[in-house]
Amino acid sequence: MSNLKVNIAGVEFKNPIITASGTFGFGREYDRFYNIEELGGICTKGLTIKPRQGNPYPRIAESYGGMLNSVGLQNPGVDHYLATDDLLLAKRDVVVIANIAGSTIEDYIAIAEKMNDSKADMVELNISCPNVKEGGMAFGVLPSNVEKVTSAVKKACKNKPIITKLSPNVSCIADNAKAAEQGGADAISLINTLSGMAINYKTRKPILFNNNGGVSGACVKPVALKMVWDCYNAVKIPIIGLGGITSYTDVLEFMICGARAVQIGTHNFTEPLGARDIAKDLENYVNENDMDINDLVGTLILNK
Amino acid sequence: MSELKDRLGEIIVNERVAKDIYRLEVAFDSLPENIKGAQFAHVKLNDKSHILRRPFCICDFDRVKKSITMCYAVVGEGTKILSQYAAGEKIKVLLPLGNGFVPDKSYKRIVLLGGGMGSAVLPAIPTCNPELEYYTYLGFANKDKVVLEKELAKVSKAIKVATDDGSYGEKGFVTDILAKDMEKLKPDAVFCCGPEVMYKALKKALQGFDVPIIVSLEARMGCGIGACLVCNCKVLRKGVEEYARVCVDGPVFKLDEVVL
Repeated sequence: MSNLKVNIAGVEFKNPIITASGTFGFGREYDRFYNIEELGGICTKGLTIKPRQGNPYPRIAESYGGMLNSVGLQNPGVDHYLATDDLLLAKRDVVVIANIAGSTIEDYIAIAEKMNDSKADMVELNISCPNVKEGGMAFGVLPSNVEKVTSAVKKACKNKPIITKLSPNVSCIADNAKAAEQGGADAISLINTLSGMAINYKTRKPILFNNNGGVSGACVKPVALKMVWDCYNAVKIPIIGLGGITSYTDVLEFMICGARAVQIGTHNFTEPLGARDIAKDLENYVNENDMDINDLVGTLILNK
Repeated sequence: MSELKDRLGEIIVNERVAKDIYRLEVAFDSLPENIKGAQFAHVKLNDKSHILRRPFCICDFDRVKKSITMCYAVVGEGTKILSQYAAGEKIKVLLPLGNGFVPDKSYKRIVLLGGGMGSAVLPAIPTCNPELEYYTYLGFANKDKVVLEKELAKVSKAIKVATDDGSYGEKGFVTDILAKDMEKLKPDAVFCCGPEVMYKALKKALQGFDVPIIVSLEARMGCGIGACLVCNCKVLRKGVEEYARVCVDGPVFKLDEVVL
């Protein structure tokens, strides 16, 4: 019998399609296009202990088959979230993953403690935002830091599975995956955006105010697939794969490389109904092939 | 639940109307009921190398033809590709987006002020509010850049066009020309769309006139619907500077709340 349900750290998703943090707000905007309950899950915009204004304009630039962003974690703060969207989302039949970020280890612990009061199903730990000068990223680079921040958050937030979101801007992502697992992560998600630059040759200036930004979109998919496969071979905890997914066949590729579920990010901008359509296409695929989607996970057959 | 739609439209006109400026008319099976002046459409290109939609203001619309008109300048690769699309090409468009301009019920006379391509925002305002009187002022860099004069002349009580170099119409900045006419016009509001430098000039030129100035901003955008937070502009709200989203909190703002 065909099956599209997946389970990550004890949380059941009706399908493996999750919308990625920072591309989907808190779900309200896309709810105007389709019922977000058709998705497996949604990841909230990155939350911080205090409200953040984010970076000055411009925050976005296009590149071939992709884009760069440097929003800088603009968000209303975790208390605002807990009083508003957390309650609204809890009423919806969709897995809610609260994405949290910080600048210091104390920040991470403080916000993780707050998450005990959240009705979200899971917490995703953003240690890899490339767009915040004072930190975040710093925790995502060295494996020892990945372990340290994951274990601190795990201790502070006892009632929810923790997903550590990994940065691709590191020397060996598999080592960081292991470090997250060692720190007690219940799952990992990867990849966050790749560090990059977009230039205006006329002004000789970077287009983004912040100079650098995170590259995402279809162009990063090959990098993401390789990293998911590398991590799949390094850890036992489930992997959520993301990076450049624009179709259900992309989802199949990520799952074959070892992802148990996937996130759709930048594609939401190109096709506002894209995540929902991919979930539908995936359902048709498993029905036509009478398969359990879970049977695909990690079935990559390498050439000799 | 699905109040917003991604509409597949067919290009019926895509013609060059001035140097590097095109008029694009797209027809749909139906038009949304609630189009307001100064709202925008988010247009998807058909090649996969350009993944971001292009936000263009809805210059005007025609309920009989079920079409919208957009005017755009070829400024980069995306608009260059768009300029090569022929009639018959199908494109996906989100519309109408943004808050739009809803004139206060007390308004009778409105000044429409356009700077360069910003003039493209103006025509839909009289279409949506035909009961008001319009006095239109357009400014362009030079003769080659003049657009929409005829269209706006039809719906205006009076229209003045100026160019920076004097190659067409009056010579000089249109903001200064408007300032000279303000005393006799006594408009209930000034609606302006143009580059940021024009808003600074306008603020200065109309100092001392007690008239609401409403502007339409533009920004690089991602989603166009308020989720991605990339089209930020700085505004003053309750004495505090904060970021607003051009796509949903705007594009229309009161000039005195915009931090220039």
